Amino acid sequence: MTKIEDRLSLLNYKIDRSYEHITVNHDICAVCPDHFCTFACPAKCYTLIDGQLNFKYEDCVECGTCDIACSHGSVLWTNTKGGHGVKYKYG
Amino acid sequence: MSEFDVIVVGAGPAGSAAAIRLASAKANVLLIDRADPPGSKNVSGGVLWGDSLGQVIPDWEKSNMLERYIEAKGVTFLTKDSKIALDFRSTKFGEVRSGYTVLRTKFDAWLAKKAKDAGAMVVSGVTVDKLAMEGNKVTGVIQNDEVVTADTVILAEGANSRIAIDSGLKKKSDDRHMAISVKEVIKLPEKTITERFNLTNAKRGYASEYVLGFLEGGVKAGGFLYTNRESISIGAVISMEDLRKNNQTYSYDIIEQFKEHPFIAPLLADGRVEEYSAHLVPEAGLSVDSIYGDGYMIAGDAAGLTFSNGLVLQGMNYAIVSGIGAADSYLATKGSTSPERFELYRDSLKKTFVLKDMNTFKGSDKVTWSETIHNTVPAMAEEIMLNIFSENGEPKKHLSKIVVESALKNKQRRKDMIVDMYRMMRRL
Repeated sequence: MTKIEDRLSLLNYKIDRSYEHITVNHDICAVCPDHFCTFACPAKCYTLIDGQLNFKYEDCVECGTCDIACSHGSVLWTNTKGGHGVKYKYG
Repeated sequence: MSEFDVIVVGAGPAGSAAAIRLASAKANVLLIDRADPPGSKNVSGGVLWGDSLGQVIPDWEKSNMLERYIEAKGVTFLTKDSKIALDFRSTKFGEVRSGYTVLRTKFDAWLAKKAKDAGAMVVSGVTVDKLAMEGNKVTGVIQNDEVVTADTVILAEGANSRIAIDSGLKKKSDDRHMAISVKEVIKLPEKTITERFNLTNAKRGYASEYVLGFLEGGVKAGGFLYTNRESISIGAVISMEDLRKNNQTYSYDIIEQFKEHPFIAPLLADGRVEEYSAHLVPEAGLSVDSIYGDGYMIAGDAAGLTFSNGLVLQGMNYAIVSGIGAADSYLATKGSTSPERFELYRDSLKKTFVLKDMNTFKGSDKVTWSETIHNTVPAMAEEIMLNIFSENGEPKKHLSKIVVESALKNKQRRKDMIVDMYRMMRRL
């Protein structure tokens, strides 16, 4: 099985250091009963570290899955700006 | 007076087809894509079925952006140990249309270039923040607090349609209307692909849809495998509803389970993973209450215009036809200020396969994502085939007896089977 980290490392990103296009509300995540985002996100942007939700926007492939996956209203999803974010070679 | 006749948001098949049509008719068009180069965030399986593109690019089949022409189409059920496949091959795919495999980054950049050549202004790497509105009327787009005005906006922003949602033109989607798709592009030599899939030559391709009836935790997912010239596109389409119920399987592991299946792994042997991607797949028909409104039309994935009945998976052709339909509706009603002018868009699509199919196959997702298709059918098919094709020295049984015994074993009541069969016949 190819590890997800290895698969993600194949991708090109133009990371926007000044704008996080997705933000989560950690107060909501702290009491979340399912953390379904951690299973749904295809880019493993959502992980649990010591039971706490950790989110990193840098690996995001901008599919929009987490916005639907989170049924608790924690995810705020916006488009990346200025050509930032994932840049596919094949698509 | 608006700065543009039409602003098209999103350079995918829907947006670019619309822009080409409009620019060819001398309309003043702006095509905006948030990726740079245009199309470099676009993903699909992907096979472009049919020849809708011929309506805007008559000689499109001469393009070297096309990978392979499908001469072999599969529908395959996988259980843990078995593969039960329909492998349809026909020289008649030369006369009747099948499709071409495409890799979207390259293909969509080419489409956007065609729009530019036709006279559209193409801007890439620019994100539209929201729509400019006066009451319910869309009057343009806003980027960095700057308004660019247009007589009409065509929204072709794809499945994850932030602008339509944020502007209140569409509700946020839900588990039933979106599936998660993950995909890998696996590099292999051209000759290896041609030989491995028993293809006539390097210009001919294979495409199959799969039911993955063997996944850990019983998650429901479909698969696809398409041959490109020098690579294979393989992916899984996962039911969001089911993954949520399961809540212990990772979406990105499901494609690996598919790749490692004993009858899939040999097809990929010695291949190198070149790219990983993910995308939402609109399911279960239209995702908007209305595909038009005052000053705007919604086309392609953004409107939920995709098709899946388990046998085929299509989207790009629906996108192209809807994009062209939107362009034509603008051109035919040019000068009109009626808020209902784009009724024409809906009415014209109703005459095409795009909205006809949405209507004919309403509710087909209830069958394609059913327990029957994903678990019972593969399990029974395996058992029946093993019974027929193995030889254990026992007296042989009639086929009907084998089927009935298998149904009993799989706890299929005759009544349930009849109901399922009826649903399949009606909905697929």
